[in-house]
Amino acid sequence: MKVLVPIKRVIDYNVKVRVKADKTGVEIANVKMSMNPFDEISVEEAVRLKEAGKAEEIIAVSIGVQQCQETIRTALAMGADRGIHIKTDEDIEPLAVAKLLRALVEKESPELVILGKQAIDDDSNQTGQKLAALLGWAQGTFASKIDIQNGKAEITREVDSGLEIIEVNLPAIVTVDLRLNEPRYASLPNIMKAKKKPIDEFSIAELGIDAAPRLEILSVEAPKQREAGVMVDSVASLVDKLKNEARVI
Amino acid sequence: MKTVKKNTSSSIPEGFLQEIHKIVGKNGVITNLSDMAPYLEETRGIFVGSSPAIIRPKDTLQVSKIVAMCFKENIGIVPQGGNTGLCGGSVASGELIVNLERMNEIRSIDAINYTITVDAGCILSDLQKISEENDRFFPLSLGAEGSCQIGGNLSTNAGGTSVLRYGNARELTLGLEVVLSDGRIWNGLTGLRKDNTGYDLKQLFIGAEGTLGIITGAVLKLFPLPLERQTVFVANKDLKSILKLLSLARNCSGDTVSAFEFIPRIGIDLSLKHIPETVDPLKDKHEWYTLIEFESGSSESGLDTIMEMFLNEALINNLIIDGVIAQSEEQRHKLWFIREAMVLAQKPEGASIKNDISVPISKIPEFILRADKAVKKICPGIRPIAFGHIGDGNVHYNLQQPLDLEEESFMSLREALNRLIMDIVQSLGGSFSAEHGIGILKVPQMISYKTKIELELMKLVKDTLDPNNILNPGKIL
Repeated sequence: MKVLVPIKRVIDYNVKVRVKADKTGVEIANVKMSMNPFDEISVEEAVRLKEAGKAEEIIAVSIGVQQCQETIRTALAMGADRGIHIKTDEDIEPLAVAKLLRALVEKESPELVILGKQAIDDDSNQTGQKLAALLGWAQGTFASKIDIQNGKAEITREVDSGLEIIEVNLPAIVTVDLRLNEPRYASLPNIMKAKKKPIDEFSIAELGIDAAPRLEILSVEAPKQREAGVMVDSVASLVDKLKNEARVI
Repeated sequence: MKTVKKNTSSSIPEGFLQEIHKIVGKNGVITNLSDMAPYLEETRGIFVGSSPAIIRPKDTLQVSKIVAMCFKENIGIVPQGGNTGLCGGSVASGELIVNLERMNEIRSIDAINYTITVDAGCILSDLQKISEENDRFFPLSLGAEGSCQIGGNLSTNAGGTSVLRYGNARELTLGLEVVLSDGRIWNGLTGLRKDNTGYDLKQLFIGAEGTLGIITGAVLKLFPLPLERQTVFVANKDLKSILKLLSLARNCSGDTVSAFEFIPRIGIDLSLKHIPETVDPLKDKHEWYTLIEFESGSSESGLDTIMEMFLNEALINNLIIDGVIAQSEEQRHKLWFIREAMVLAQKPEGASIKNDISVPISKIPEFILRADKAVKKICPGIRPIAFGHIGDGNVHYNLQQPLDLEEESFMSLREALNRLIMDIVQSLGGSFSAEHGIGILKVPQMISYKTKIELELMKLVKDTLDPNNILNPGKIL
């Protein structure tokens, strides 16, 4: 089985994000970038499938600027076999991402596409679902457990009311949740080996996709600052404040 | 636990605390025993202090007035910050405690001059945060940074994990404001990097543990904010290869190594046993590990390539066996957590005798070899945990009790064990207290290992600046 793992380069989870002065977006110049944490989990899961003898080849795909190749190298160091980089300097919306991935799926014919349920930069949570719709494939979203047997995948999903277990036929799209696994560290020998693994490059035009944005960003604003709390000196004054200032009781 | 013996400071005259009250206001004095407890106990529980009251001034003028009154009445004072010291330097034995926690204002930040001027009671981590918000970096970083105060950091000349690149607290200080033992205020708050005008007075107060004056404010150096860090955790076969690795790292990186910490296998084992969420990032077990960090002020400086070239070179020369590179900030935090967890894990594992020594970096392998041999001779089964800032020649040589020995019988060997270790340190030209200071704990070692002339000079300085011996009496000398 061939597995395709789309990964996104995002602002590192631990970086404090700042809005640009002109409010057109957030500051990404001179900011630490890393692999989307949900995608790290999908890479890890793919590598585990390979280690369990259930997958033969893992292809890591990333769409974006030149430096996305660093993110692909991380996936290769974790255990992916080769990379595909769709190079563009534009922001690509989820629908266009899904269309680009469909083009790759048609080229590579994987039986499983496994990706993060969302990226932590725009929190869209759309790419997996849109890709499933475009391909007409089954989908299992928010997976916290994946079990692949005889051309089927049993997927445990984290839903509001608890856990839901579904079975889908392969080929399928699986989007992963936080509790699926703990991603490994890229070991030194594997980082060195990853340098020799191939990364193919494509432009959006080569794949024949219209990736023009459908949305226009009017303005990006920082969240309002919370006001500092006050210490009350008695229960009576707390009750008074709740009643007359906060008006919650 | 031992109760500290009372020093010969006179008792407090009637009405004295009322006068202090008038100076510091209603929240400024604590006399209630249970509220006093956190100011009397120290972190390791080796000493229990006693004090008639905790005085918490709000500004330098209040400190000055309090000290002037104590000077007049000959009343001893223990200046105190976050009370996180490891040698009992902030433990009172009947003296008044003057705690500076309410003096916690950032007085000013001058981004162009790369300086910040602060009250002594500012918490270290707050200072780091505010510097960062101003696109600047204050490099002092240590385990207690969430509660220790900058005044205490300066008074103990704190070290920590970034000494290799940025120096210890002394090297980060440009100016000080100090209340002298008679209550006068010396304002030396200059932000000058060059100022050769006579004796450099601030140096006297840094590392003096509050025995020469009370530091109330400071001007500190700031640096450009590091925007990229490369953090690796590698396995090494022996200490000699770790030393070679250090010099290779400094060479390959253009000296951007900001941390170089070594960890023994037993440290990892104890962490895995006692501290949840610790992971061993490598597949196999190894004798020694190092945590190495490179730092750069630009995110496009190619630091990742430099790190990989260094590691490649190290692999070829057999200086490392295996290793991982942090791929995100999250992974970086997890690698550092291994280093921190090792310190926490020593407590649940039983009694531990802690040593904080330094020797020339090149002598570290010899020190550990000789010390291990010596301590095992008089205490079979003892488990030495040698770790720390190898880049600074600073080894935390901690001794964990044998599994089959009572805690008490182990602790009874303490002085004999320490004596052995310190003699080896001395013979290698090292220091018996690298970054933790003297306090009460290491006063006996001062007498054994400092030369007569050093002790005489120190006494001379002390008698001149504190003729009535009211400032932190009984500490250091």
